[in-house]
Amino acid sequence: MGEVLRALEDAVGSDYVSVDDFVLYTYSRGIEGALEEVMPEYVVRPGSTDEVSRVVKVANKYKVPIVPRGGGCCLMGGSKPIEKGGIVIDMTRMNRLLDINFEAMTVSVECGITWAKLNTVLFEKGYYTGTLGPGSGMSATVGGGLSHHSVGGGGATKYGTCSEHCVALEVVLPQGDVVQTGSNASVYIKEPFCRLGLGPDLLSIFLGDNGIFGIKTKATLEIFPRPEYHECKTFVVENPGDINVAKIWLEWRKMGDLGIYDSQYLPPLTVVAYSGLLTEFPFIPAWKGIDKGILWYTIEAYTEDELEEKVRLADGAVKRHGGEELGEKIEDGNIARWHYEKHGFWQNWHALWNIAGPGCVPCSTEHHVPIHRMPDMFRAFEKWEEENRSLLEKAGAFSGVSTTILCGHTTVEVDSGLVVWDRPELRSLNKQLWISQMHMVIKNGGMPYMTGELYSQALVDAAAFPEPYFELLRTLKRTLDPNRILSPGKYRL
Amino acid sequence: MVELKHVKALSSMAQSCSGIGDCRTAYRQALGWYGVCPMVDHTPGFEPYYARGKIRAIKGMLEGKFEPSEGFARVMYHCTTCGACKAVCHVSGVDQITWPTSKYIDHTRLFEAVRADLVELGLGPMPRHREILEWAKREHNPYMERHKDKLRWASGRELKSRADTLFFTGCTGPYRMPGVCQDVYDVLAAAGVNFAVSPDEWCCGSVALRVGDRKLAESLARHNLEVFEKAGAKRVVTHCAGCYRTLKKDYPEIIGELPFEVLHVTELLAVLVEDGKLDLAEGELTVTYHDPCHLGRHCEVYDEPRQLINSVPGVKLVEMKRNRSGALCCGAGGGVKSAFPELALSIAKERLAQARETGAQLILSACPFCERNLSDAGAVASPLRLQVEDVVSFLKNQLKKK
Repeated sequence: MGEVLRALEDAVGSDYVSVDDFVLYTYSRGIEGALEEVMPEYVVRPGSTDEVSRVVKVANKYKVPIVPRGGGCCLMGGSKPIEKGGIVIDMTRMNRLLDINFEAMTVSVECGITWAKLNTVLFEKGYYTGTLGPGSGMSATVGGGLSHHSVGGGGATKYGTCSEHCVALEVVLPQGDVVQTGSNASVYIKEPFCRLGLGPDLLSIFLGDNGIFGIKTKATLEIFPRPEYHECKTFVVENPGDINVAKIWLEWRKMGDLGIYDSQYLPPLTVVAYSGLLTEFPFIPAWKGIDKGILWYTIEAYTEDELEEKVRLADGAVKRHGGEELGEKIEDGNIARWHYEKHGFWQNWHALWNIAGPGCVPCSTEHHVPIHRMPDMFRAFEKWEEENRSLLEKAGAFSGVSTTILCGHTTVEVDSGLVVWDRPELRSLNKQLWISQMHMVIKNGGMPYMTGELYSQALVDAAAFPEPYFELLRTLKRTLDPNRILSPGKYRL
Repeated sequence: MVELKHVKALSSMAQSCSGIGDCRTAYRQALGWYGVCPMVDHTPGFEPYYARGKIRAIKGMLEGKFEPSEGFARVMYHCTTCGACKAVCHVSGVDQITWPTSKYIDHTRLFEAVRADLVELGLGPMPRHREILEWAKREHNPYMERHKDKLRWASGRELKSRADTLFFTGCTGPYRMPGVCQDVYDVLAAAGVNFAVSPDEWCCGSVALRVGDRKLAESLARHNLEVFEKAGAKRVVTHCAGCYRTLKKDYPEIIGELPFEVLHVTELLAVLVEDGKLDLAEGELTVTYHDPCHLGRHCEVYDEPRQLINSVPGVKLVEMKRNRSGALCCGAGGGVKSAFPELALSIAKERLAQARETGAQLILSACPFCERNLSDAGAVASPLRLQVEDVVSFLKNQLKKK
């Protein structure tokens, strides 16, 4: 230990290495609910790409595993060790905004910057990154978001996942070499602008990789002008809401570009929970008495006329499927306006974690499905809950879909999962239920994106990957990371 | 397992943290948030240096995952108890949408509780705190000064021993910033306030409370209560934000319902200015205002100091980007300035830089402790040099000469 510690101190400076038990403990979990805490042996906070590279080289020399960690917001155990010991590399010290290029319409950052900090600067200049990262974007980092294909922080309907707009990425590879990808793969391209070109898209293997192929240190993202006009509306939808909302979203998709920046559907149980009937504190008192689902949208436009026309078209589809508009003000229950105008980086479901009081935590099974398959997935959840009713009751756990988000006008991100009690005696049962639900999602055609520890292992255990694909994944991993340094255990690698 | 009775009593707070971590460095333009915890960029910055990690570590300790240690104690004292973490904890920004987490957790209270436990375990407070508290037991102030010298600032001014209003001078003013005490005296007198000043007042106990010595804080509070009763005070007015928070929020918890009203001097002066009791001359100055944490976030006094500044004709108040509930701490509170002086100055330099950005010629505040730390930082950071002044001193300078 002493030799490794000294080498790490040489790499990043003694102030930025810790082996204190109480520090290690705070890095032994992310925000996932039911996983065991697994203590690392060291935590380091590098301040530069060179320091990251040096840490990785130390890890290779002494065969010590590394888990990269951004804001520590992973819901699946992606930002904590899976196997005891090793190094957690906390990237939040590398948090500078490096350059905004208004000609190429890109922003370059160190990957430890948070989505909220980055977008606050851009907002002030009339721009944004389109998708604003994950719902936890006030603390989640750009590096973490790119590692998970994050959505949920706003803009996903219009711009898709945050990783779609990454045009260059600097990565420290598992043996410590630094590689430039995307536009920056060519030494002649001085201003990154696009990632598709120069041959195979090697940048993409680091997107959504959950930190198994490299440590992201710098990224260049596209930026977009923030339109001057917007409209925010919230509707009560007729039951069965999931079926009606799927029809509305499919109609919107067929209408072309409606400028819908974001749209979410909240099933009846979420609406009831938000209105405060089940809880000590109401979130949105205006929803009291509503026993149906809620659909909301925000439409952006560059002119008033454009906005008016797009709103007319979007509303037409909603009304054809029985949607009834709530008032336009936030106090009328217009959550869309609150999201866009007040909140900025939303986290409506995060509050649900404490819905039943202290110690109530999430076990997310969030995933994507195509729009038309959303109702099928709701039914699959109902069936799973019926099959697992006695275990759910034993755990005192809630299960279901809290929210769904229209992504890129083509898919739906289903925020599903369990809300459980974080008690030592329940952890095993909670985990059993959690894994079981993950398998159900995978086998029903759901596509997990934030895979971390548990979902990545569930994908392998459920035999989701045919052997040729999994062998390709294994080969890539072996080639890049022969010493099994980065995030060992994810995908059972 | 070590007994942690103060923290154990608040264990539901530790359980309530969802761990999302906005308390580190949340940005929300719509609410004027541009960062949160002052510790993050001025320390090694590991998780336990800010609220999420502190709470997680406290929870781990309660569950017996590790024993409290000197290192743990040292990091727990790396907190100015500014309360910025509570101010952002799942705050919705509108009354119509509420979030539960911030109702379950009082971050500052939890962090002060762990310090109280550390003191009882002999792991806290920090060495410099111990020296200060030992001195406070003997001479009733944390500045290593003699109690008999406390009223030096008042030389040449008549001090009444009894009045409905008592001016509680605190310690920073009399011993380190006597001019502010003089200015408070002069402005209250100019407004026609009949007030007393007691030579027997002791430290309010804020220092002891913030670093976890609750026994000392209680003995100081009980003594001061007797002093206030002896002076016949129906209201106690102080110019120190730390004293104000302690008298207003902590004393009722320590000694029960108070038989007197507690006011910050800016609250009193705002009424007096409104009533036309002060005749203010025109100024030509652009100023900014630093919200002291104990006055602002802890007690929600944001408007009165600004009303006073705006009452001076010709003076322009420009806000720093981080203001009111989003204000960056000056860096001094929670025992940080005494235990980790370089850290306090480092944070203050960041605050000075924010003030510089406004183009103001002067920083005003309403807490001598903040003013002192900001001034100290200005002295060591010459490019950031910006004069710092108390709002009351500023008013005094604007009083029309009679």
